[in-house]
This record gives sequence, C-alpha cells and structure tokens, in this order.
Amino acid sequence: MAKKKMEDLVKAGLERAVELMVLAANNAWHFGGKHTLEAVLLDDEEMEEMANYALSLGDMSPLAARDGRFALELMKEPWAVIIFGDNRKSPFNYDCGACGFRTCKDLNKAETVESLTSNGPACVFKTLNLNMAANAAAATAWRLGLHCRVFSTLAFAAKALGYMESDIVVGVAVSAAKQDPFFDRHKFWTKEEWERIFNKEFPTFNRGFIGAIEE
Amino acid sequence: MAVERAIKQFERDRKEAARIAARLLLASGTTSPRVGGVRECTFHIIEDDCDIEDICHKIETMADDNKAWKFFKRDAQMLRDADLIILITSLRSLTDPSDINCNMCGFLTCEYMQEREKFKKEDKSIAFTGPLCTFRAANVAYALNGIVSLARQLGIDFGVFWSAGLAGMRLGMLPHDTGFAVGVGISVTEKSPFRDIPIDYDKYNDRTMKDRIINRLWPQFRSIYS
Repeated sequence: MAKKKMEDLVKAGLERAVELMVLAANNAWHFGGKHTLEAVLLDDEEMEEMANYALSLGDMSPLAARDGRFALELMKEPWAVIIFGDNRKSPFNYDCGACGFRTCKDLNKAETVESLTSNGPACVFKTLNLNMAANAAAATAWRLGLHCRVFSTLAFAAKALGYMESDIVVGVAVSAAKQDPFFDRHKFWTKEEWERIFNKEFPTFNRGFIGAIEE
Repeated sequence: MAVERAIKQFERDRKEAARIAARLLLASGTTSPRVGGVRECTFHIIEDDCDIEDICHKIETMADDNKAWKFFKRDAQMLRDADLIILITSLRSLTDPSDINCNMCGFLTCEYMQEREKFKKEDKSIAFTGPLCTFRAANVAYALNGIVSLARQLGIDFGVFWSAGLAGMRLGMLPHDTGFAVGVGISVTEKSPFRDIPIDYDKYNDRTMKDRIINRLWPQFRSIYS
C-alpha cells in the first residue's frame, strides 16, 4: 500500500509552491530600499466569495464575470490565489512626474480617491514594484511547472471584499490542474457569443470586395 | 602584470558574453506577460561605447534639472562601467490609457484622466509627462522582471536605472510614443559595477582613482626619479 496518494502529494506540493512564490515575490528586485509589499493567500471560502463577487459584476464588466465564472471552475481542482498589494504613496523622492504630480510630496499629500478597484493616485514606481513581485511569483510557478496566470479582476474583487487593505492590488492564480486551465478558455464563451462579439469588434473582417454589389 | 594573449582573449569573450546575454534578456523581456494589448513595450540594446557615453553624459547633465535627481551622477558612473544598456519603453502609457477605469491614477475613470492636462515636455524638471496610465505600468514591470529574473538565472550582473530610460527618451533614441522608460545596465565582470557603491561615487570611482593616482602621479614620479 502506497504511503501517500498522488492527490495528497499534489495538494501539499501546491501549498509549498505558494510559499516559494511569495518568497520569490518578497525577494524580487524592486526600486528603493525596503519594499512595503503585502500578500495574502485566500482560503476556500474566500476564494468562492471572490469568484461569486466577480461574477456578479457582469453588467459592469463582462471580463470580471468571465473570470469569476472561470474561478468557480478552477476550484474543482487544486488551485490557489495570492493577492499582492501595496500602498499608493511614494517613499522614493524621485519627483519624476509620471503620476501627474510635480513632486512625491505632492502625490503623498493628495487626497486618496477610493474606489472598488484601487485607491489612487498611486506612484508609478510603486506599481512597478508590485507587478514585478507578481511576475517573480509567476516566474517561480513557471519554473516549478505549475499553471499560472496573473489576474487584476480577481484581485479587484478581493480588494472590494476587504480581504486586502492595500491601495493597489494584483492577483496571481496558480493551479495544479491536470490540464493548463489558464489559456484557450473557449468554454467560457459560447460559439454564438464569440461570433457576435467578433462581428461587432471587427465588422469589416468578413467584408467581401468593396466594389461588388451588396446582397 | 603582463597582459597575455589568453587574457586579451578572455576580455574579448567576456564582452561577447554580455552581448549574447543582452539578446537573451531582450527575448525574456519581450515574451513576458502583457495586459491590455501588445505593442506596448519595446527593448533597445545600446552596446556602442559612444552611445553608452552619450547616455551617461546626458544623465549627468540632467542631475541639475531637479534637486531630487542628485543621484543621477552616481547612476552615470555606474553605467559607464556597464558593458551595455537595455532600454525598455512603454508606448501606450502616455497616449492610450488601458480603459478599464481602475482608479490607480486617482481620476476614477480613464476619460477623466485623459482630460487632465499633462506636464509639458519643455519642463526639464519633469521626467515623465504625467499623469501616465498607471495600469500600463504593469507591462513595464513584467518586461523589467522578465529581464531581471533571467539575468539572475544566467548569473549576469544588472542594475536598473530610470535615469537611463529618461536619457534615452531625451536623446531621441527611443520611439516617439514612449511615455515612460527604464534602463537596465548589464555587466559581465568579476565585480558587479552596480553593488558596493561608495558615497560620492561621482568623485570616487574607477576612473577618477586611475586618473588621480596613476595618470597624474606616476608620470610625475617618472619625470623626477628617472
């Protein structure tokens, strides 16, 4: 009798991988001195709530709804989602102007504009630090042979639900499914939906010779 | 210490390694993830010594454009020791907000953000004519980390400098749509030029040490004692 089943080993391996991903994010190259990055790993209940919330945004954002529907599907196999966040203020004193304020001091003094997705105005270099950390986590997942994709939609949902206090957020989803679930996600769009949207977005794609008589 | 043939060969191969590595790093940066469409990031390898010097000189002169940019003088010295520089651009951050109303920029919607007057290019105390689309910064971050993570794996020394990106923009080396740019210095040497940087590095560095101690004193010593 085998000591452990594959299913248990995969689950345990995924948990370990998530730790290594956050470790890589923590040690990723970043601008400035100490980073102020935060990360949380959602539990099953929170992930389901986050997915349902994203799904409920259908009227506002079809993409969020698609990703919500997708997340619910992902839950059937081992997966995890790490939400990375950072505060919007600049400790760098670069005074670079990219954020639209003349100095970092002005940006830090500016009133925080809160919304469900992010709280701005955010320092561009802080955003770089956050997303480089996310990319380092994703790169680690890639090296470990895991399926991985970075999501803004799910992170926005997690922020809106209060799982993450940070001003700016990004989510890294990782899966140990038997087939890579993150690409070629055709099943979340019906053929009719796809054709309708394609014809709307690219109306001239199927256009015949312009000089010919219209039917 | 005689400079033997084999050592000269090593010196040539070392530089060649940096050039090959730069192309692999460019590949890693190019294939890193993108959000909100492509033709967002371009990569430019600056490997001609004169071009690198142009960038370093520009960085130095820009140090006086803004009080907060004093560290540009240090950056310039570090980059003078680099074998080459890769510049990363963002072609959409200035002109084409991602249109997802994420509020990272603090204007709630992309429409409000676009209505906002941008800083003028002529104002030399401003590096990037913001407000830029902050969501687009994610693409630069992925590009940058694509380079950094491979550099770490390849064992290539690197340093990231936004001053170099700005210099590339101001020198007209980068595509005209570039709203934001950062530079990565690449080095294949035994001692990374990007670590262990003393204070006042613009005064105390390899070049000034050689100039003050060898080039200035040694000929005098020879003249007097020969």
